[in-house]
Amino acid sequence: MAKVSRTTAAWRLSIWTTLAFALGTGLAFAIVHFLVAQTIRERSDAWLSGEAEVLAQVSTNAPKDRLYTRIVREVAELATRELPDERNSRGQKLNSVFFLAEHIDGSEAPLWVGPGSSDAVQKAIQAVNFGQGAPQSIHVEGWPTSFRVVSRRVDPGGIIIYLGLSDRGDMYVLRNLTRRFLLLWGATVLLGFVISYMSARRTLLRVEYIAEAVARIGSEDLGERLPESASRDEISRLAKTFNLMLDRIQSSVNQLRSVTDGVAHDLKSPVTLIRGTLESALSSGAREKWRDSVGEAIEGLDRLLHLLNTTLDLAEAQAGALRLDRRPVDLSGMVTQLVDLYQPAIAERQHKLAVDLERGLVVDADVSLLSRVLSNLLDNELTHLPRGCEITIRLRSQQGLAELAIEDNGPGFSPEITAHAFERFVKGKRSPGHGLGLPFVNAVVQAHGGEVRIYDRPEGGAGLVVSLPASVLHPA
Amino acid sequence: MRLLIVEDDAAIRGFLERALLEAGYQVDSANDARTGELKALEGIHDAFIIDLGLPDGDGLDLIARCRAQGSSAPVLILSARRSVDERVRGLERGGDDYLTKPFALAELLARLRNLLRRSSQGQSDSVRLGAADLQLDLVRHEARRGDQMLQLTPQEFLLLEYLCRNAGRVVTRTMILDHVWRMRIDPATNVVDVHIYRLRSKVDAAGRAPLIHTIRGVGYMLKNG
Repeated sequence: MAKVSRTTAAWRLSIWTTLAFALGTGLAFAIVHFLVAQTIRERSDAWLSGEAEVLAQVSTNAPKDRLYTRIVREVAELATRELPDERNSRGQKLNSVFFLAEHIDGSEAPLWVGPGSSDAVQKAIQAVNFGQGAPQSIHVEGWPTSFRVVSRRVDPGGIIIYLGLSDRGDMYVLRNLTRRFLLLWGATVLLGFVISYMSARRTLLRVEYIAEAVARIGSEDLGERLPESASRDEISRLAKTFNLMLDRIQSSVNQLRSVTDGVAHDLKSPVTLIRGTLESALSSGAREKWRDSVGEAIEGLDRLLHLLNTTLDLAEAQAGALRLDRRPVDLSGMVTQLVDLYQPAIAERQHKLAVDLERGLVVDADVSLLSRVLSNLLDNELTHLPRGCEITIRLRSQQGLAELAIEDNGPGFSPEITAHAFERFVKGKRSPGHGLGLPFVNAVVQAHGGEVRIYDRPEGGAGLVVSLPASVLHPA
Repeated sequence: MRLLIVEDDAAIRGFLERALLEAGYQVDSANDARTGELKALEGIHDAFIIDLGLPDGDGLDLIARCRAQGSSAPVLILSARRSVDERVRGLERGGDDYLTKPFALAELLARLRNLLRRSSQGQSDSVRLGAADLQLDLVRHEARRGDQMLQLTPQEFLLLEYLCRNAGRVVTRTMILDHVWRMRIDPATNVVDVHIYRLRSKVDAAGRAPLIHTIRGVGYMLKNG
């Protein structure tokens, strides 16, 4: 019962909850990531601008003699070391800083402090139009990450200095942040999914239990009730509401039963008396000329009783008030028995009967009601077919259902019947009987959880299929 | 044989008394559960016929009280209720029987005979049955009329056996369905009659005195002449 099925509401509910949760936290992280990246960049830019200012002043103030290059170089090297030497786990240096001083007229070779040669950096700088002040990102060939570069013009001497800081350190911090977030995020989402699935399942299992119990109560014992838990949540209220509804159904069913029992009792007592008196008259040597009349009177009474019983049965069956005494019934055995009973009457009307029954089909049914259903169906064939028809009775198991099909090649159902066949007193204009047969069949089969279908066969004739839930298919 | 009828409807009680007297029983009657219990405990009755709906109690309770006080006579329950409830079916399994109103008098008498025979355990399972010049061998499943063997299907044989066992008495269609086909149904068509016609055409073949008679409105009877 507790299998994880993708069609359950618990599964869908937890999927959606988890999805919403994952999206929400993901969005929150994206915002945090953006803010952190911005802060780190501002920090680097502030450092770059500050150092560039210092270097510009040193360049301006240092005397342009032989020592100039050395002074500037040393200050630049100091600046490149000023940042903490961040290293990643493999010991690779993360902060790469370069310093470049170019003469505008190109009269002297540029001054370069930094890893490798200055060529690539110079090329990259030339590709970008540098303004004064604000740092810019440039991509240098041979470096995987971009550089943040700030430039200053040192006026006396026509020198432009560039100070660059690799983004590698910033990237490392941000990547680290993202990696840790993803790990934590995955774990939280998974945990959230498990928790929401468990709680949804727990709640919905109670709903499922109610649904099963109500189905069982409806088909078996109307006196049973759902257990009402002490909590006052929605599901307890659902159970209470169902119980109230069951109370009402039970009381109307009981009312109907007492009405039908009352009618039956009040009508049957006088009929018993009349019938008994007539029968004693018949057996106590009534005169020959009375015999036929008395016999006819008894037969009339019996027909009246048959009608009364069927009407009351139908009323109960249609109201779902049938008292079913269910036990396993071998359907093919029962059909065989009835066919044996009906066979001579069928042959007498010159019908051909073909019977094809799958053995070992067991249904959980009320034996006496089910045999009345079958005899009703066979009575129908006998009363409605003109002489010399072909009747086929087939019993098959079909996806957990026992399907009994009765088909003939007679005139078929008249159109006024097909639409309302299961309503009381509906019958063909010229057909005999009182039109209670099919409604009774339908009501009893439905009370057993089955279904009756009627149709006109395309090749002519009528067909009727009774399907009942099979409880055992082919016992060994 | 002495019977006790417990039935509150005076008219039905009266007609039952007459019919049973006519059938050769001695009959006492009571019109409620209390008097019924008093009379039942006299211990002189061979069987009880008890209506389920009594003015001062349920027929089943009356039976339970009688049983509790040592009365062992079999009970035939009459019920006007439409469906036979579980407790009544239980009684049937316990050896008693029930009949729903309205019933055929013939059936009431047959069931009563059955109950009395069961209780006296005198049912001799004879291997041969017969009426007039009809002979049934129950072991070999053979039927003869005079010196001629009858070709019967197994079902026809069962039907004839049932008629023979009740020779001289009327059996109704309901009784036939119940005993030969073991079904309590009420077909709207003449299915039972067709079986009887077929059997009759074999048993009462041309030139022989008819044995199987139709009693209009009631059923059939096997008798000589």
